Amino acid sequence: MLIDKRRSRAQKEESTIKRYLTTILLSLFLLILSVWSLFIGVIDLELSTLLNGNLEQLKIFLVSRLPRLLAILCTGVGMSVAGLIMQQLCRNKFVSPTTGATISSAQFGILLALLFMPNSTLWGRALFAFAAAILGTWIFVWFIQRIRFKDVIMVPLVGIMFGNVIGGITNYLAYQYEMTQALSTWLVGHFSLVVRGRFELVYLIVPLVILAFLFANHFNIVGMGKDFSKNLGVPYNLVLFAGLSIAAMITASVVVIVGSISYIGLIVPNLVAMFKGDRIRGTLVDTALFGAIFVLACDMLARVVIAPYELPIELIVGILGSILFVGLLLYRLRRGNKAIRLGSAHSGGCAAAVSQVEGGDGA
Amino acid sequence: MSANTHTKPYATAARRANARKLAIMAVLVLAAAAAYLLVEVNPRYFSYAMSLRVPKLIVMLIAAFAIGGASIVFQSVINNIIVTPCLLGMNSLYTLIHTAVVFVAGSGSILAINANVSFAVDLVLMGIAATLIYGYLFRKTNHNVLYVLLIGTVLTSFFGSIQSTLTRVMDPNEYDSLLSTLVASFSNVNSEIILFSLVVLAILIFVLRRDLALLDVLTLGKAQAINLGVDYDRSIRRLLLGVTLAIAVATAMVGPISFMGLIIANLSRQLLKTYRHSQLILGSVFFGMIILVAGQLIVEHVYTYAIPISVFITVGGGIYFLYLLLTRRRI
Amino acid sequence: MKVQQLTKQYDGKAVVDGVTFEIPKGKVLSLIGPNGAGKSTVMGMISRLIARDAGLVDFDGRDIAKWKSKELSKRLAILTQSNQIQMKLTVRELVAFGRFPYSAGRNTPEDETIIDQAISYMELEPFQDRFIDELSGGQRQRAMIAMVIAQDTEYILLDEPTNNLDIYHATNMMKIVRRLCDELGKTVILVLHEINYAAFYSDYICAFRDGKIAKFGTVKEVMTREVLSQIYQVDFEIMEIEGKPLSIYY
Repeated sequence: MLIDKRRSRAQKEESTIKRYLTTILLSLFLLILSVWSLFIGVIDLELSTLLNGNLEQLKIFLVSRLPRLLAILCTGVGMSVAGLIMQQLCRNKFVSPTTGATISSAQFGILLALLFMPNSTLWGRALFAFAAAILGTWIFVWFIQRIRFKDVIMVPLVGIMFGNVIGGITNYLAYQYEMTQALSTWLVGHFSLVVRGRFELVYLIVPLVILAFLFANHFNIVGMGKDFSKNLGVPYNLVLFAGLSIAAMITASVVVIVGSISYIGLIVPNLVAMFKGDRIRGTLVDTALFGAIFVLACDMLARVVIAPYELPIELIVGILGSILFVGLLLYRLRRGNKAIRLGSAHSGGCAAAVSQVEGGDGA
Repeated sequence: MSANTHTKPYATAARRANARKLAIMAVLVLAAAAAYLLVEVNPRYFSYAMSLRVPKLIVMLIAAFAIGGASIVFQSVINNIIVTPCLLGMNSLYTLIHTAVVFVAGSGSILAINANVSFAVDLVLMGIAATLIYGYLFRKTNHNVLYVLLIGTVLTSFFGSIQSTLTRVMDPNEYDSLLSTLVASFSNVNSEIILFSLVVLAILIFVLRRDLALLDVLTLGKAQAINLGVDYDRSIRRLLLGVTLAIAVATAMVGPISFMGLIIANLSRQLLKTYRHSQLILGSVFFGMIILVAGQLIVEHVYTYAIPISVFITVGGGIYFLYLLLTRRRI
Repeated sequence: MKVQQLTKQYDGKAVVDGVTFEIPKGKVLSLIGPNGAGKSTVMGMISRLIARDAGLVDFDGRDIAKWKSKELSKRLAILTQSNQIQMKLTVRELVAFGRFPYSAGRNTPEDETIIDQAISYMELEPFQDRFIDELSGGQRQRAMIAMVIAQDTEYILLDEPTNNLDIYHATNMMKIVRRLCDELGKTVILVLHEINYAAFYSDYICAFRDGKIAKFGTVKEVMTREVLSQIYQVDFEIMEIEGKPLSIYY
């Protein structure tokens, strides 16, 4: 008995270290990458001159590089956390701000703001984007909960098409009122306009992400299904819609300030889950860190490829993200249908996962 | 035999009804074409107006023909009616190939300047690339159409991102104007390749005439087709290559219009309710011509060019696709 | 028609392993066995739908791979389980496809007569202008059989024709199979799950287990306690009805 206990304690300690090992490694890597990214750009910065108090260089550092880094980190953390929440709540690995019509709804909101309040401030636009994104996501989730799908794959497909339709309407209005030029800023995400004074993204996203962390356990329970959460006394609908709203607001914040950046919310949580499993509480930090690393790496790439010009980050993320996503799909397909379903086998939720991959039974 | 007296009139009646429907559609196509040419034309500048409108009309008719035919053939070959080649990103692939060719050859080379030469090169590359990519996808997913469809929509944005990146790399300052020379659109149709396109389509139909005649049997499924003595795999391969090239023709002329094929192919199937591909293809082609020509007429004269027709097709097609996806018992 | 040393592997695992038997002409032969025993795969290889890894399918003195697909389609017809047809097709149009190997889509009056006969043989006249997707499972299955009859082949291969049918339609289907053999002189080979259908309606049974033939013989030879319990690994009792052995398992 005693030996057993001791051994189990030793195992526990070991597993504690193991459990945090990825988190520590990811944090370290992110730190190194962040510092490195500060010194990439049109004008060479050097640490020594910076420390010596070269005002010119210090100015670039404070006006351009630092705000940009913060914006990137917030985008990465925000989008991947939003994706994770949506996947958890909908119990479908392929739901995300991109595949759940959230991004296109936010863009629609921005256009409405531009139409109705031509002189709107950033906060005014953010408000419109929030409302539209929340509404769009709610409609999408309400919609897919009402339909029993034959295949999990249907959910992202419906989401993408729903997003297409909203995007089409946005385009229509933009053409009608000659707003295409103005709108294009929010269609293709890029960080090149983020300079000093534009810390709004940080103000917006940090509180929302903290909120998400606080309610992580609730999301986890709701992700187990309606009956399961009722049994534990968690108000299913309230938490579901609160969670979706948080995810939608994070997404809308990013869209308002840097433009649309797809795939992060889809790719990052899936990649992390492949290594860490599906429990949201354990993976939330890692997902956030990995998301930040992913966006930062993409941004550095975007700045280097055609220097002194830079590519919009949406393009780099779009290329890398879609490759990873297709790889992920094929990987999960090969691993069999179980891998596509979420870990829990309860019925209900966003999709009834009855896959219909054809396969002869050989008899 | 009683069966004879009972069935023959029915079968012919259904066929005659469809023939009537198709004839009405043909008249509508002609009416739309005439309206497109003649509405609000200034008699004083008649020949000038015609020199603008006639090539554009021809381009639209060819594009409708290519998309309408390719979509029906593709749907029948993969035995699924919610998928069209454009939904799988074939038109984005073509746009990417064209941009990549200009990127590699340089914007001053003959490949960039001579529309016909570059079109020929694009066609060859398109045939190879599409066969490799989509062949791989169908094999890898075990012909699971939903997976192919989802991957296809992702590929659409993938090709688009690369294409956009290449364009920006080529000329970071003049991105927009470079884009409009690289990608055709309804306001900027590629009428230089009309003759070439017609030749390509004619050759395709001639080479594939036997396979096209097999379409009715192919839709019974692989096992039944083989049972009835059809060389299934060969026909499928040839037809898919034909589909790819037809989509390339359409995209080269008017640019990508993703949902067009989905709409017209399914409208044709709903209207004609037959398995006969000669009628289905004709119906789909006519629908495409009516939508494009009448749509462009409205865009030019009601909206005075403010809104491109592709916007309407995207919204309408997206809603229609969702409707199909959600109401069908079997995907 | 002879099958020799037929072998098929999936991912290095032999699903069918060295199967050899001869198909008795003008009789009904049932292939039975547990799930995964390889009976459908054997059927697929006999009918050229599935490529084989080794072995020989001798059809009229020539290997089946050496036959022209079109010629073969006039001698041998196969009906698989997956017959989901998405097209708007009427029963008559479906049956007419049976004449495709002969007329390549342009049916002559003789073809039409054969189609009429096939339809009336399967008592499908009332439904012949209905669309396939509006029919019940049993009617659809009968329409498919009618197409095979119109194909006018000596050999008919049916892969689980009673699948997804209720007892009434399944039993009717088996009676049809018997008539195809007795009245039209066809050689019918079918894959069956239900042992008693095989026992009651066929002449020979070929029982599979783990990709190999466990027992090939007349119905009486195969339908014994020892053979069946060895194949299915459960206890069997054999009784006789109308002179035919039927099994009870528990």
